[in-house]
Amino acid sequence: MARRPNLLAFLAAASLGAVLVFGATATLDDYVLSIIQFVGINVILAVSLNITNGFTGLFSLGHPAFMTIGGYVTAIMSLDPKRKPFLLPDLPEWLAASHLSFLPALVTGGMVATLVAVVVGFPVLRLRGHYLAVATLGLIFIVQGLAINLDGYTRGALGLNGLPELTSLWWVYGWMLLTLYVCWKLKHSSLGRTMLAIRENELAAACLGVRITRTRILSFALGAFFAGVAGGLWAHLVTLITPSSFSFLFAFQLVVMVVLGGTGSITGAALAGALLTIATEALHPVEEAMGLFGASQVLLAVAVLLVLVFRPKGLFGMAEPDLLAWVGKSPGREPTPAGSKRQREV
Amino acid sequence: MRTMLSTVMAAAAVIGLVASVPQARAADPIKIVALYNLSSGGLASIDGPSLNGAKLKMKEINDAGGLLGGRMIEITAIDTKNDLKEAATGAKRGVSMSGVVAGIGHSDTTFALASAPLFQAQGIPFVTSGATAPDLPGMIGDEMFMACFGDDVQAHAMAEYAYNTLGVHTVVVWTDNAMDYTKGLSKYFQDRFTQLGGKVLLNDIYMTEDKDFSALVSRLKANPDAQAVFASSGPDTAGIIIKQIREAGINLPILGGDGYDTDLISTVPGPDLSNDVYFTTHAYVGLDTGPANTFRTGYQTAYGVPPENAFAALGYDAMGLVADAIKRAGSTDYAAVTKALAETNGYEAVTGNIAFKNGSHVPSKPVAVMYVDHGKVSLKTTVTPES
Repeated sequence: MARRPNLLAFLAAASLGAVLVFGATATLDDYVLSIIQFVGINVILAVSLNITNGFTGLFSLGHPAFMTIGGYVTAIMSLDPKRKPFLLPDLPEWLAASHLSFLPALVTGGMVATLVAVVVGFPVLRLRGHYLAVATLGLIFIVQGLAINLDGYTRGALGLNGLPELTSLWWVYGWMLLTLYVCWKLKHSSLGRTMLAIRENELAAACLGVRITRTRILSFALGAFFAGVAGGLWAHLVTLITPSSFSFLFAFQLVVMVVLGGTGSITGAALAGALLTIATEALHPVEEAMGLFGASQVLLAVAVLLVLVFRPKGLFGMAEPDLLAWVGKSPGREPTPAGSKRQREV
Repeated sequence: MRTMLSTVMAAAAVIGLVASVPQARAADPIKIVALYNLSSGGLASIDGPSLNGAKLKMKEINDAGGLLGGRMIEITAIDTKNDLKEAATGAKRGVSMSGVVAGIGHSDTTFALASAPLFQAQGIPFVTSGATAPDLPGMIGDEMFMACFGDDVQAHAMAEYAYNTLGVHTVVVWTDNAMDYTKGLSKYFQDRFTQLGGKVLLNDIYMTEDKDFSALVSRLKANPDAQAVFASSGPDTAGIIIKQIREAGINLPILGGDGYDTDLISTVPGPDLSNDVYFTTHAYVGLDTGPANTFRTGYQTAYGVPPENAFAALGYDAMGLVADAIKRAGSTDYAAVTKALAETNGYEAVTGNIAFKNGSHVPSKPVAVMYVDHGKVSLKTTVTPES
């Protein structure tokens, strides 16, 4: 019963967001809008990375690889068939003729990323320890290498450019809401609980009948899906994608967002994602004025160190602070079960 | 619920208020956006002079009283940081500035392909100063104009010069596989060279970020019959290639395109190794025309150095082309400026006369063949294509 006002508050926040999106698209110029969209995309990425790195306690660096896959697949699927022979003359017949609208193209991109995650996850996630970090790091380079050398599909190192500007603030907002909603539901479902159980104590979870490998693969694949979609959104916002668009440095930025926000906290990851994106963008003019290129990266690293020293749990730890309650003004809610409202004891 | 409703209402009211404030449109200056890689990468060595050239032209026009009855030109330079994402978002920032009439910029095809489509989408004309792929206007659309010749022209000029004048009949070709420009240049060179009867012994590829060319050098050594190497390279690798070929004791002539028109070809290998290099570039050095002389003295006075390379002249010409079109259009309306640009005929540019004939947006212009000896660049000859 405690869930109902929660949903109401979520809907209220979502509609308030929609009003803001409407206002923003009506008043702001393209450049500011694109920054807001980058914020939204990074929120999607941080929150979806949180499923593996936060909930299940696996250390994945694979998001850039999934974004590259999602980006290329979405771009190839949604490209105008009239432009395809120009850009990609060696594309196989069935791909050259296919033309999907944006939504199915994004979903296809996400699905292909998911498929790759399952294939990679199947052998790796059966092992104990930090094998996933190494494997996903390798995956970034494998995907990059493939993108450079699969000339017929990707136009090699040149990348695909002049893509149609399909991504709008509405698309980003919609996917962001979906990501937040799915993650929220997941965290408070029995599946989410088994993920948390695996993170806390793998052996104990296995003794309770949790199928460890299956749950891990599921969480890894779900994160990959949203990363793939975010890659598609990114490519059609920037209007191009190249093999080097998403480097492994980007993976670290995403990990930083999750760590800063609090590993396992959806609110934390979302807030850290938004704040870091805005901060990097706002520091650009400062960097330019002082001639200190790269200063924003240094500040980011210092911030991470400070958080790790003084607040190892991140901003919110595992908790979901009642931000929605401020919007919905629903006082006196019963605390949701373990892990979300109560701080975990360390 | 009531408080929530009022919050929403208040937010909506605030947004409505913001929306109703009329967009301030400065009627006075004519804004031109210039997109260049200024802070990093080898392209900065040719993009920087381009921007200086464009700014010089702006100053000259403004000093002479501006355009359209005293309106001043104002160039907003956006640094694209040698990053395609920055080029695309920079273009987005440019087209959303109020009062922008046209965009200029870029000395590389890949970058022009990233940013120019955003101008095309808004119907704003874009004149590239130095992106040389001749199919650029075809790929982007009717708002895309080039102030420079196409790669087909310069590659054909080099092929003919090598075959007929240097007597080179067998070559090894190196191509940077990560740039549209270098791939196109190699293709056009080989087409013409084999057509003339020459033979390409080996086609080798590398990537822009490569620093070690020893594998390519040893494959070059394995072809003792080669009489020259055509290294299709951008400014990033041109100097490194010269250095490593010469360090390996190979004295073959090195041939290249306008990507070599940077001081990096003498500073990176050092003057002792920078020898026997031929490259094609945009003509202005050998031209003794009125505009070319005005440009040379103007650049010297404004920046205290002679023009670094032909790209300075191209930036000057791109700005000049846009200004000329605005003057003829008599307005800053996008469509009128585009139409006037397309009708450009016999504009006296520093790098040769520019005319967009038969609906083509690529001008036919003379090509300069340059020769490098001990780091010193000198003009060998100027080739004027027929038609």
